[in-house]
Amino acid sequence: MFKKNDLFARFRLFNPLMLMSMVCLIFIGILYIYSSCSVREDVDLQQLYLRHAWAAGLGLIVYFVVALINYKRILKWSWFIYAVVLILLILVPIIGDSQMGAKRWLFGIQPSEPAKLGVVMILAWVFSQRNVQRGAGLFFLTALLVAVPGFLILLQPDLGTAMVLVPTVFMMMFAANVAPKLLWGSTLAGLTMAGLIMGTVYYTETVPMTHERKESLISKTCLRDHQIKRLQVFMFPDKDLHGSGYNRRQSQIAVGSGGAWGKGYLKGEHYMLGYLPPSVSSNDFIFAVLAEEAGFAGTVIVLLLFLFMTWTGLWVAFRCRDDGGRILCVGVVTVMFSHIFINIAMTIGLMPITGLPLPFISYGRTFMLTMMVGLGLVQSVSMYGREEETRFS
Amino acid sequence: MESYDGQKLTDSWRIALIALLFGLALLYLAHALFTVQVVQSFAFSSDQARQSIRRVQVPGARGRILDRKGVCLAENRASYCIAFYVEELRKRGKWLNTINAVNANVDKLASVLGIPRELSYNAISNHVIKSLPMPLIAWKDVDAVTLARWAERAEQFPGVDVYVQPERYYPEKSLAFHLLGYVRRDRPPQSRPGEKSHFYLPEMYGREGLEGKYNEWLTGQLGEQLIRVDARGYKYNVWDGEPAIPGRDLQLTLDASLQRVLENALSDKRGAGVVIDPRNGEILAMASAPTFNPNEFIPMIRDGLWKRLTEDDAHPLLNRAIQGRYAPGSIFKPVTAFAAFSQTNFNPNTLHRCTGTFELGTMRLRCWDTYGHQDIAMRRAIEQSCNSYFCTLGYQTGPAALIAQAKTLGFGMKTGIDLPGESSGLLPDSEWKLERLGEKWRPGDTCQMAIGQGLLLATPLQMAVLAATIANGGKIYKPHLIKTDVQPEPLRTMDWSPEALAVVRGGMRDVVQQGTGRRVQICGTQVSGKTGTAEIDIRGVRHKNTWFLAFAPSEAPTVALVILVEDGESGGKTVAPLARQVLVSIFGESTNESPTRVEAPIVTGGD
Repeated sequence: MFKKNDLFARFRLFNPLMLMSMVCLIFIGILYIYSSCSVREDVDLQQLYLRHAWAAGLGLIVYFVVALINYKRILKWSWFIYAVVLILLILVPIIGDSQMGAKRWLFGIQPSEPAKLGVVMILAWVFSQRNVQRGAGLFFLTALLVAVPGFLILLQPDLGTAMVLVPTVFMMMFAANVAPKLLWGSTLAGLTMAGLIMGTVYYTETVPMTHERKESLISKTCLRDHQIKRLQVFMFPDKDLHGSGYNRRQSQIAVGSGGAWGKGYLKGEHYMLGYLPPSVSSNDFIFAVLAEEAGFAGTVIVLLLFLFMTWTGLWVAFRCRDDGGRILCVGVVTVMFSHIFINIAMTIGLMPITGLPLPFISYGRTFMLTMMVGLGLVQSVSMYGREEETRFS
Repeated sequence: MESYDGQKLTDSWRIALIALLFGLALLYLAHALFTVQVVQSFAFSSDQARQSIRRVQVPGARGRILDRKGVCLAENRASYCIAFYVEELRKRGKWLNTINAVNANVDKLASVLGIPRELSYNAISNHVIKSLPMPLIAWKDVDAVTLARWAERAEQFPGVDVYVQPERYYPEKSLAFHLLGYVRRDRPPQSRPGEKSHFYLPEMYGREGLEGKYNEWLTGQLGEQLIRVDARGYKYNVWDGEPAIPGRDLQLTLDASLQRVLENALSDKRGAGVVIDPRNGEILAMASAPTFNPNEFIPMIRDGLWKRLTEDDAHPLLNRAIQGRYAPGSIFKPVTAFAAFSQTNFNPNTLHRCTGTFELGTMRLRCWDTYGHQDIAMRRAIEQSCNSYFCTLGYQTGPAALIAQAKTLGFGMKTGIDLPGESSGLLPDSEWKLERLGEKWRPGDTCQMAIGQGLLLATPLQMAVLAATIANGGKIYKPHLIKTDVQPEPLRTMDWSPEALAVVRGGMRDVVQQGTGRRVQICGTQVSGKTGTAEIDIRGVRHKNTWFLAFAPSEAPTVALVILVEDGESGGKTVAPLARQVLVSIFGESTNESPTRVEAPIVTGGD
């Protein structure tokens, strides 16, 4: 693989469009992180965009390194990566740092981010094993492989990240056609449960009842207080505009007041005046800053870039002649897409608020590096996934 | 499809389906963004404005109050305040940090300036919570020494600055206090039309008197300033909305120099005086004593001052001229005379024998002349103010005609002067007495009323209107203080016969010529008048309210006046000399003509 001619041949299969759209998005991210952190009082926090840029630079190196390594070799190590991730996740509650009521940090990284990739990789590896039966056995193995890190992430608590695992695993199983009856059955069961929880919250809010009864009903949903609050805010947006509904309301106002063409770069009033809390404006709610300053025109461009990335990623899967490569691509793209969709939908009030970053644009170095490693893997699939094809043609 | 090594490959259609699904999901997001950013953009923009833009009400400059010749009675002066701009002292974190920082600075500044702090901790925290972007005034109206001391150390105190605000100033001090009223600086009672303001600069508004009555005229139109604040409420930027329109000046009918003479005449007494132009009802002077300097209310009413003023038994804040209710005594007698003339069979020349006392049933009234006026007709009865004559006259005329006459002249109702708080006095009749006192109207009540005693009460202004009405031959003008160029229409016209007028006016001229009011005589000007001394009982102690009612010149009167002094000796002795001072200041006193004084002994005693 490291023969000069060989490497050159590989590079002809490198997908430049995916790299370009990624670089564009990272550039946009740095611009708007600069915008949103420029109003921070703390001098250190005003430099967030620089940290983000440095992480992006590092990420590009990692991206190329990963892209140049045959993904099949990496997949062979996926059980090891999975194990490392699991150990890190176990260490988080023991020696991790708390931030804003959740213990997510370990040595300056958030292990829950690489955990997503770890799960995708091990599933791609397991699914693509020769002679593996894609039946009930594999289904339950998958469930177990996802449930262990998922449970550890939920403990932190980080509902958003745990939630991202659900569509990711679903799409990977759907693509690999693992135990379709069980898959659809459990999906139906999951939807029913979500419906029941939402229904319970709705019921407790609309039907008059005693406080004790309300408490007991809510406790049956097994959700935490702040999660219940977010659901309530989602279903009854006007209920508590100055408390738990504040962020949702303010991000909506920021996006809406941007209008068609936006207020201009560095001219967004909403984050500048602090109505959009500065603690969230550069990470989870960066899209609101962008939408206010760049308007509908800007958000459409970003959406197009994301669409482009998603489709090129799936195009790589489409062209790949290797099962492991295909499933890996589907997994990575679905992780990325889930973040995009949930983050934007939450910013404009279409979904309950969950702390999920927007890929490449939100400040968050662990997540960005994770995503770049993920896209590096996709690039690797693009270059090495058609190996045999090129040999025969 | 199969992979290169023959294994069954993941279906391509599944990947295509996922791509389609993701594409549709992004399309859905694009649609949602279109709704929020384009369709509903305006609503969200106005939501943003609503939560970040604060409207500040800005008052215009308050108009001045001028006398008829343009002498300024109320104006504005610059007042220097030391103010904290909390924005510049803001501390991160809890509000308490900022409040404490301001609090510490106030203490520090107080020790540097050597003045006691006036701002309480609560006031600071209230300000920070409620009106953060506004200046917080720590010391109002500081003197030049303090200002100089502050200027030396200014750079040590960031966020502190001199704040200049207009304050009301009454250059003539206590002059016409009761007419002008005063202003207070407080939350404004009025507000801008249209959108509600969030903040206001404390604004002057009139309390009492003309400042109160014509507050809107003087205030002008409020303007507004727009402030954009951040999520914590700090000022981000400011721009002017609508500018304020300054208030208009108020020109009075009052003559400041005459007012000063009248007030000087009444100084060290308790009483009131009204000088009115009988030709149109313009008030030329109106005084109430004791009085007060309203500048002491500026910039604020100090602790204890208000209590002291309201508990003072001389009631300096009371405008006796319109709020004091007094028995008019003998100056009411012309009304009885006119009532008698309204009876068809009345002959003013009929003689009445005054024996010094007058008895009716169980009631016994003394005429002030112990030996009696002997045979006396109306004109001389007015001149001599014979109680016996007027009691009899009232009795003969009857209560109905007497009360009707008094009512038409405006007794028992407000004159309608443009001042707040006017009293209507009291004109009793049989129904009133039955209802309020549970007693029937007795002939004695009619007799009492005929000489201005008993239950009858009138304000000095009502008596001044009576003087003006007699002076102008029966036209009742609404007394007013605002100068207009239009000749007003009389409210009512009395149906007095020329004969009645001649007799009553003759009698009143005689009062000054040779009767009880000789002390008012002026060289060169014929004055008509009537003295009055009303005896009243206040909690068992006898008091005398002494009056003088006059108009001049007798033939074509241009001035009518009434002066009341509480606890005087008699109208002739106590009040007539005061009235003379006022009239002399109007008409002057020619020295080359000898006074038309008739040689007659000055009779001491009453009226």
